[in-house]
Amino acid sequence: MRFIRGSRFDARGAVRAALAAACATFAVAAAAQPQRPQRIVSINMCADELLLRLADRDRIASVAWLSRDEDNSNVAALAKGVPVNHGLAEEIMALRPDLVLAGAFSSQTSVQILRRLGVNVVEVQVPRNMDEARGEIRALAAAIGESERGEKMVGEIDAGFRALGLSAQSPRLRAVVMQPNGFTVEKGSLVEDIMNRAGLENLASRIDAGSYLSIPLEAVVLQQADVMILNGEVYGAPSLATEALSHPVLAALGRRLKVVAVPPKLWTCVGPGLVEAARLLVAQTRGARAARR
Amino acid sequence: MSAPGSQGAQRTDSHYAALVGALGFVVVAAFLVSLFVGYAGLDAPQAVSDALHGADTLPAIVLVELRLPRALLGCFVGFSLGLAGAAMQGFLRNPLAEPGIVGVSGAAALGAVTAFYSGLSQIIPLALPIGGMAGAAASALLLYALAGRGAGTTTLVLAGVAINSFAAALTSLALNLSPNGFAALEVIYWLMGSLVDRSLPQVWLALPFMAVGWLLLLASAPALDALSLGEATAQSLGFDMRRLRLQLVGGAACAVGAAVAVSGAIGFVGLVAPHVLRPFVGHRPGRLLLASGLGGAALLLVADIAARLLPIRPELKLGVITALIGAPFLFHLVYRLRREG
Amino acid sequence: MKIEVDAASVRIEDATILEHVSLVLHPGEIVGLIGPNGAGKSTLLKAIAGLLPLSNGAVRYDGAPASQTRLARRLSYLAQDGEVHWPLRVDEVVRLGRLPHRTPFAGESAGDRAAIERAMALAEVARFRARTVRSLSGGERMRVLLARALAVEAEVLLADEPVAAVDLLHQLRIMDLLRQVGQAGKCVVVVLHDLALATRFCTRLVLLAEGRKMLDGAPADLTDAIIRRAYGVSTLRGEHLGQTFVLPWAPLE
Repeated sequence: MRFIRGSRFDARGAVRAALAAACATFAVAAAAQPQRPQRIVSINMCADELLLRLADRDRIASVAWLSRDEDNSNVAALAKGVPVNHGLAEEIMALRPDLVLAGAFSSQTSVQILRRLGVNVVEVQVPRNMDEARGEIRALAAAIGESERGEKMVGEIDAGFRALGLSAQSPRLRAVVMQPNGFTVEKGSLVEDIMNRAGLENLASRIDAGSYLSIPLEAVVLQQADVMILNGEVYGAPSLATEALSHPVLAALGRRLKVVAVPPKLWTCVGPGLVEAARLLVAQTRGARAARR
Repeated sequence: MSAPGSQGAQRTDSHYAALVGALGFVVVAAFLVSLFVGYAGLDAPQAVSDALHGADTLPAIVLVELRLPRALLGCFVGFSLGLAGAAMQGFLRNPLAEPGIVGVSGAAALGAVTAFYSGLSQIIPLALPIGGMAGAAASALLLYALAGRGAGTTTLVLAGVAINSFAAALTSLALNLSPNGFAALEVIYWLMGSLVDRSLPQVWLALPFMAVGWLLLLASAPALDALSLGEATAQSLGFDMRRLRLQLVGGAACAVGAAVAVSGAIGFVGLVAPHVLRPFVGHRPGRLLLASGLGGAALLLVADIAARLLPIRPELKLGVITALIGAPFLFHLVYRLRREG
Repeated sequence: MKIEVDAASVRIEDATILEHVSLVLHPGEIVGLIGPNGAGKSTLLKAIAGLLPLSNGAVRYDGAPASQTRLARRLSYLAQDGEVHWPLRVDEVVRLGRLPHRTPFAGESAGDRAAIERAMALAEVARFRARTVRSLSGGERMRVLLARALAVEAEVLLADEPVAAVDLLHQLRIMDLLRQVGQAGKCVVVVLHDLALATRFCTRLVLLAEGRKMLDGAPADLTDAIIRRAYGVSTLRGEHLGQTFVLPWAPLE
């Protein structure tokens, strides 16, 4: 990930890709510190979100620069005024941190240097479902000495999912996710868990034991998908993946297929955004659900 | 006149007609197979009858909106690549001249990528094929300036390497400047070429340009025949070399540029088709054109059918399959050219 | 067709290849274009064929300049290098000579086929019509290319060093063939190095040296003094059956 320093767009792409593929949230790998850390630096966007939501501002020394970008981050407002870093060991050492939060896939060279210099680095992992996501929140909260606030966040998220109001009998709709990187959401991922909680069945894990990384439109039609979820903006930057949305076959399907756009930042990282994503899916598929009933 | 002569000429003529007929048959057969091969079982008779009766059923939708454009583009793109390969080889008098190897496809991809990621093609749909053609034309002119008349293999390949790497560098630059963070990732796959999820509007967008390219290239047949005796002789036979150059650069740019703009850069078709078919047309560069176009169409359709039938998911990119088929031909050609010196 | 070369000059970059050359060519003539290397023989031949833009002067065909396509049927050009880029069949190569007579979208006419047969018979290549040119000897290959030039059935045949790379038998056969063409009333211009062949087979010789015309006359006009001046060699001269022949002998000191 050293090329993050290169150009802005390149770096953003790389980070987004890494996030989407890997860092849906994280598991804290190190034991909680006996003393509450006072100068916390995060070099990972998903760690940023929890840190900014859970810790007081005066204990946060720096967050990743991408967290200020409203298109990518749910906490851009909170990140305003917090010094930012680009994940370089040199700038992080200058901040004299007593705790560094890093992603399992981000800036490995920086992490190794920091560890050698005796800095306490906590690496966050990628959760594959809501249970692991809860674990990530609790673990990170413990590491920064805010277990109580962490527990509260878990409770709010759980309450949010309960409030979706889907009964056990409501029909499950078949959904397929189109991501701007051309891949679909594989079996056993956090996004799939969210889809299931929103009453949707991930078509990718149904077809051919999830061996489809990208689903051809033909399979979408013949497997009779009810919902197509665009993990991105319909009118965002030009992307070959969103080109699929202008394919006439979708127009031909008409009301048989509902297209829903979910901003990727909602379910890229662990946080209240997960509930928001689920709410959005439920609200947007209400019509399709009614038609199936 | 004397019997053996007219018979000899007529024999090659009827040979040629039989070859074109056979190739045409293979193309039609592969086209039909392509319509009825896919990921999920399609009730073919049902789909056809629904489509013909205008019934809006799922099989009909899949057949008309997805399988048909895919098969049509396989046909047209293959024809464009095969034809352009044969024409470039005839013009440069070198069997290694192929749109992919000499950088025309790469430059066309650059043009298409630029038109797409700048957002221009969202405002003006025609920007995509035009971008592809502009890239192809620029590289074809550059190639001619670098390699020129009767280019030696070394010069030609070096020119190709230069154009390809320059186009690749500019493509990366265009992607870096794109507001879409995934652009680079998407394009890596797109550049390998594919016909997945293409639509009828894309066919209608590219076809007119490809057709103009075909006409320009096919019309060069007599001049290419004459050119096998060198430029001076061809000129003395009444062919204007400047006009021919423009005609071929324009034709290759239209055909390859529009093809690449909708399918990505699919390599080796323009190498394999002429190479295989050349002996069957008595090595005449003019006759090779149509035969090679049909051969390219058949080859691409078959490769695209293979992509769907091979148990590899996500399906292999078309350019990967054509490269797997084509590379041995390239090795063979290089080996033979080396022996010939 | 009468061809007038009027004060033709050709400059390529800064080098003057041809300077102020004037010449009139008539039907029935066999003109030998001779001169040392770099004298401008091939350039003059291309200029006559209309293949080369002149820096100055003009070439007129029956009194008027002509376009390339017009010329293609009336004037046939045999290139020096004898290149054939693909392993084409002999009859396919000869066929190319009919290209100027083709109309778009029309096949080969009976007239075309007859012309091809005549040309192959004249050049005696019909025997190996079905072989590829790559399988032929240098002499046979040159005869095939000559047949291609003859198949145009033009009024003028321009041949650039057709005997430079062929054996003695083929030299004589090709020169004899050119003489037949000339005697049939066509105008033949042939670039030659061999003065013995030139003096024997041509009706007229044009000697170029350093881009200028040094001599334009009958073979008998090619004196030892002129050859010495143009080539820097001494010559021997003989006579056989009333024909003079010239033999280059030794470089001048």
